[in-house]
Amino acid sequence: MSQKLPLSGIRVLDFTWVGAGPITTALLAEYGAEVIKIESGTRLDTLRLLPPYKDGKVGSERSGYFSNRNPNKKGISLNMKNPRAFEIIKELIKKSDIVCDNFTAHAMEKWGLGYGDVRKIKPDIIYACMPLMGTDGPHVKYRGFGVQVNSIIGILHLTGFPEKEPFGMGTNYPDHVANPMQTAFAILAALRHKRKTGEGQYIELCQIEAPLCILPTSVMDYMMNGRVENRQGNQHFDFAPHGIYPVLGNNLLGNNHWIVLSVQSEDEWQSLKAAMGMPEWAEQAKFTANAERMANQAELNGLIAGWTVNYDGDELLRRLVKAKVRAGLVKDARDVLNDPQLNYRKHFVYLDHSEMGYNVYNNSPVHMSKTPAVLDQAAPLLGEHTKQVMQDLLNMDETTFEELKKQGVFD
Amino acid sequence: MSESQGPLSGIRVVEFAGEIGYCGKLFANLGAEVIQIEPIEGNPIRRAAPFYKDIPDKEGSLQFIYQNTNKKGIVLDIENEQGREIFLNLVKTADLLLESFPPGYLNKLNLGYDQLSEINPRLVYTSVTGYGQNGPYRDYPWSDITALAMGGLLYLAAEGVDLPVRAPDNQAYMMGALHAAAGSMTALLEAEQSGRGQYLDISLQECVACALENAIQFYDLEGIVRRAIGSQEAGFGFYPCQDGYVYLVAGMGNNVNLWNALADWLIKHKVEGADILARDEWKTPQYRKTAEAKQRFYDIFVPFTMKHNKTYLFENGQEQRVTIAPVNNAKDICEDSHVKYRKFIVDYFSESLGGQVFMPGAPFRLSQTPWKLGTEPPEFGQHTAEILQEIGYDTKQIQEFKQGGVCIVAKASS
Repeated sequence: MSQKLPLSGIRVLDFTWVGAGPITTALLAEYGAEVIKIESGTRLDTLRLLPPYKDGKVGSERSGYFSNRNPNKKGISLNMKNPRAFEIIKELIKKSDIVCDNFTAHAMEKWGLGYGDVRKIKPDIIYACMPLMGTDGPHVKYRGFGVQVNSIIGILHLTGFPEKEPFGMGTNYPDHVANPMQTAFAILAALRHKRKTGEGQYIELCQIEAPLCILPTSVMDYMMNGRVENRQGNQHFDFAPHGIYPVLGNNLLGNNHWIVLSVQSEDEWQSLKAAMGMPEWAEQAKFTANAERMANQAELNGLIAGWTVNYDGDELLRRLVKAKVRAGLVKDARDVLNDPQLNYRKHFVYLDHSEMGYNVYNNSPVHMSKTPAVLDQAAPLLGEHTKQVMQDLLNMDETTFEELKKQGVFD
Repeated sequence: MSESQGPLSGIRVVEFAGEIGYCGKLFANLGAEVIQIEPIEGNPIRRAAPFYKDIPDKEGSLQFIYQNTNKKGIVLDIENEQGREIFLNLVKTADLLLESFPPGYLNKLNLGYDQLSEINPRLVYTSVTGYGQNGPYRDYPWSDITALAMGGLLYLAAEGVDLPVRAPDNQAYMMGALHAAAGSMTALLEAEQSGRGQYLDISLQECVACALENAIQFYDLEGIVRRAIGSQEAGFGFYPCQDGYVYLVAGMGNNVNLWNALADWLIKHKVEGADILARDEWKTPQYRKTAEAKQRFYDIFVPFTMKHNKTYLFENGQEQRVTIAPVNNAKDICEDSHVKYRKFIVDYFSESLGGQVFMPGAPFRLSQTPWKLGTEPPEFGQHTAEILQEIGYDTKQIQEFKQGGVCIVAKASS
């Protein structure tokens, strides 16, 4: 490595599992932080047992759901019920800059690893936790999965077609974006504060609050205008046409081929009309200005769909972007993996895993000119680096290691 | 305005990023000084609905208000030679530049990274664009929905052959803002140590491609192209209730605890037929996935849920360890006892709007260096005169710039 990475020298003791937590620490790892992931063989990270699996064969070392969130990390396994394991954790905390967990509220306290406990061991620690409901309030003990975060924050209610049931985005979106990204930002800000003052701190991210910070409008519209917004399909608040239209080959047999369009000015409307070959219908008074197009958008969308459906998607996209129309194809995962632009940017990285062989990982979407993200280690096997970490960080000799292993400390 | 003591105090951010304003807000609310530059026609998000009290006004866009608290604002024509010089003088004082112009635009004005890093070597220069600065799609025009589509997330927002649907609040722009924030912060930490900044090229399409859950791996490892998972088992998904819907996660693979808690809860409420749910066949996903099981469960569960509202089902169910959640709308969120207890929604009195403004508050709590909402968003051109004076222009020059259309100075501050 010719260039020192921005977070090299920073050590993270990573108690996170499942969704939002491991994505947070992966962000730190790709810019040079040393992340030590603590697992337990008796209580595996749930994602190790969820598909997809390499070649479809079930196995705790074969899940791509797990692997994509855990590259560049060292994995150690400890049986937390063994008092010696607890001693080892305390020694590791002394040598760490950041502790991160995403358990339910107060779980770490029950193990004697709450912020108060950890600060006694390492006074300048940055301690980040991400409990579902935060650590106080009437619902603090409530439990839920990512899909229920979507439910509570309103994204299910707001995403869908008005005449149908709520739907949502089809993923546990807050786990992947709002919660990990904002936790990482807070940790980085806390690192700066520590560099300036020597002081560590406690960070709490409540998993139903942080996602509302990127979903503010309906809350504000209710509080100030008294309006309870409903889902509105693919309509835009401000512009028409805006939506998703079928292209050639789209049918109900499982062939999903669509193009999206977003016209945001009169110039763009003129460009779209030109690209469509100036059809007569587009000259009608009811489509002249944005306000008229908004008012008559159902009819407008039908007419546009009647045009788009005659063309191959790739060909249509080229024609539209050349005419300066904001357009894009609705790409599935296969299209995305083969996308020329993403591949030009070398977005997908294939890392060699001792059980899975080469499989795909997302690299950072942030391309830094001087210190680009480094993605070079596949996700760890359970306990893959236990011995190495014990030797390198705790100076544990071979005999002691084997002795503790026999006692079941490293299960 | 009081001097900030946040963890990012001392950092100056110059932001010329229009609708991608949440990145700068994250910096501003932790104490960085963020100066937003708007073009003469204004940040486009000032024209975005909905508006405060539904009155269209350039100070009233709820999205503009939300994204720009605790920022300063100037209005500048950088295509004008004098405006360009003002921009250069401002960037000399900055630690971070955030911009979202089409690739090549700032280079054409000789305001690219090479030029700016020469006059300010410590500058971190972050560009957020639809597809990145190079490559085959570089010049494609973009919007939120094109990025969601081309990055693969939109495809997941439907089942089977259904038409996908877009989420509100420009989520692709939000993803770009969040990656720009974490990336820029990382680069700033590096620059503060090495003394040299760098260039960050961020593509919205690529940010979206990072949020596909396990869809990429499903194709890579198993050759499966997935969409939304949907409700696959009895006891998993939406169920109607008196005032809307609840979302239940009780049937999930081999997890028996979730199912048992549900059965106990319904038996306790003497729900007709609930005793059947305690039988062994219900404890396997194989049975719960059958159409028969889904229908039987619905027929037992929904007569119960239709007698209650979502808050009751949420609170009563959770107290009995049932993983049930309300499908909230904005009113439900704002009236939720937990959200209220934690004072998540913050407010201030706006002199310019003449009323109380409410918005989501802190995304995180930092014990030593708390998040602060700070000042109201800048009125159009509010800080133009103040900032220009600070970087060395006198009142007479500012007056000339104003008359020449180089900048806009708000009435209150001129």
